[in-house]
Amino acid sequence: MKKLVLLFSLLLIFNINAQDNIPNIDLKTIDGKTLNIQEATNKDNFVIVSLWATWCVPCIKELDAISDVYDEWQEETGVELIAVSVDDSRTVKRVKALINGKGWDYQVLLDTNNDLKRALGASTVPLTILIKDNKIVSRHSGYSPGSEDDLYEKIKELSSEGNLK
Amino acid sequence: MKKIILCVAILYSGFTFAQDGGYFFGGFESNSQWLLDDKGLNFIAPEDQFRANNYFRLDYNLGKFTAGAQYETYLPAALLGYAPIYNGNNGIGTYYLNFKHKTLDITAGYFYEQFGNGLILRSFEDRQLGINNAMKGVRVIFTPLDYLNFTCIYGKTRNGFDISEGITQGIDANLDISEALKIEKIELSIGASYVSRHQSSGSNDSIPSNVNAYGGRFNFVAGNFYGGIEAIAKGPDVIANEGQISSNKLYDGTALQVDLGYAKKGLGVNATFRRLENFAFYADRLAEGNIYNQELISYTPALTKQQDYMLTNIYVYNAQPRLIIESYDQRAGEVGAQIDLYYKIKKGTALGGKYGTKIATNFSYWAGLDAEYNIENRWYEAKFIGKGPKLFRDFSLEVKKKISKKWSAVATFQNVIVDKGIVYGGPLEDEGDIEASIAVLEGTYKLESSKSIRLVLQHLWAEKDRKNWAAGVLEYNFNSRFALYVADNWNYGDTDIHYYSVGGSYSKGRTRLGVNYGRQRGGLICIGGVCRFVPENTGVTANLTVSF
Repeated sequence: MKKLVLLFSLLLIFNINAQDNIPNIDLKTIDGKTLNIQEATNKDNFVIVSLWATWCVPCIKELDAISDVYDEWQEETGVELIAVSVDDSRTVKRVKALINGKGWDYQVLLDTNNDLKRALGASTVPLTILIKDNKIVSRHSGYSPGSEDDLYEKIKELSSEGNLK
Repeated sequence: MKKIILCVAILYSGFTFAQDGGYFFGGFESNSQWLLDDKGLNFIAPEDQFRANNYFRLDYNLGKFTAGAQYETYLPAALLGYAPIYNGNNGIGTYYLNFKHKTLDITAGYFYEQFGNGLILRSFEDRQLGINNAMKGVRVIFTPLDYLNFTCIYGKTRNGFDISEGITQGIDANLDISEALKIEKIELSIGASYVSRHQSSGSNDSIPSNVNAYGGRFNFVAGNFYGGIEAIAKGPDVIANEGQISSNKLYDGTALQVDLGYAKKGLGVNATFRRLENFAFYADRLAEGNIYNQELISYTPALTKQQDYMLTNIYVYNAQPRLIIESYDQRAGEVGAQIDLYYKIKKGTALGGKYGTKIATNFSYWAGLDAEYNIENRWYEAKFIGKGPKLFRDFSLEVKKKISKKWSAVATFQNVIVDKGIVYGGPLEDEGDIEASIAVLEGTYKLESSKSIRLVLQHLWAEKDRKNWAAGVLEYNFNSRFALYVADNWNYGDTDIHYYSVGGSYSKGRTRLGVNYGRQRGGLICIGGVCRFVPENTGVTANLTVSF
């Protein structure tokens, strides 16, 4: 019990002190090139990083839903989505077939041994994080229909704040 | 306890540095259950009714250095079905110090690594499966050129809060040929791996203290086509069963995997062939085939489609890499293939409708190796493909359609044949096959402001085993943060048992909490093609995750 109390107090401390940096992790592009996630997300506009897998139904629903409105989102806010597949070697070969079969326009990166997933403390997928100026500004795990609208609201809200500054 | 206080002190002092550009990251995960007696299932709660697995991971980065540790507790007992070595234990499970700068990446302590497809080596963590085969030792990744890298590893494999007896060392090299030779039309890359396990054989000369494995691979992308091949040969080693050496002979092993795909916008096809012959590689020679998947070096997952629904997960495949020569059971490995096809029917066509229609289909066939066995002499001879016994055959088709702004639907059909020995463990080809057909209909209705309702109806037809099942799930999403569900799997063909459950989840920012009450259907729980057996049980479970 003592240990649990300690654990929770630690939790509280770190939660308060948590920072929003993007971990320094090398991923692979779909063609096997190495690309660091810090480099990939270093953009002027908002970047959405979505951790997903070919076997994860809610992940695919989310990316399908965003795919339907992605053109509009990009036109209005210049936001980019990077879909990071956490598929391991069992299913990773499906990724390229699936993203093409779905007709997704996202940049897709591979986290085959789950280094990024671990570093982000994501025990489940989907995990959707929103990045601006190399900082994580918001994160959400799980997907329910319509949560993509909340995400887009958030982007618009934050970008209008940015304009006021 | 002292260790923890020390850790906290170190971390605390770290905060002062944190102001100078360093930062913390990590996460906390708690999975717990409260088991309850259930006469309807004939389930009697064990003495440790409350069980919890907790993981607290903290990492700190300062410039080129990153350090971290993971504290784990399995108190008062580990969740049902987890490896007994965790039960009632707690401690620092892994820790590391990493230096990363330009061409060098050095880790001391525990690390996770994968060579190629992982056939020759993969160390990873999966908390739901109770696998953490991180290696404790040193890893150096050297990238002298953009298109060339080397990874060297040396260490022992984690086994509970202990480490393996065997020492694993290895080297992996990757060369991107197209970049090296500035070829632009096609992407070509090659890789080579060497992994060796050293384990003392004591005074027994007939057991090798070193077992070496070599592998090579080749990958290409040419226009819309892509593919790869990886082959591994493992040197002579003993075979073991349940912690005992089961033959006085030595056997070598092989693994071969070939992938081929075609992808353009709107269409994707991917096919995989794999053959495994006596290809079980563990950090301890006696750990071979342990049901808790501890001390693994090689990663040989089942290459089948991971199904998504309750009833499509009753009859699943578990890969069969091992060599067994016993009078009651003979196996030499497996051979098989699978093919996936993804297709999008365009918007505005008759079948595509306003939003397009998405189709996914998969076929897989896996057989035991066609081999002749001489049980007396403990010898065997396997064909490359041959006509081995069918262990698993699966066909599935999924059609996904957004009907209107509010409505979307998914229809899935699956037909599966599986050897009973795969489903329940025990000798293969002994009790015959189970054939099942499963149909699933799922509909989602979106109400205003991210409220939605989801209904899933499922039915399974089978002549054998537990015969027919019906199942349903009803889920209501109050908003993107909060959802509740009720579900029932009803085996009306045989046992008349309802595996019901109710639950909910709340997710906000860095925190997610899920709570469920109900019955857990026993059997294989498979994630990423690796399976563990979970006994039937009833109770309340809670899962909390916080990341920071």
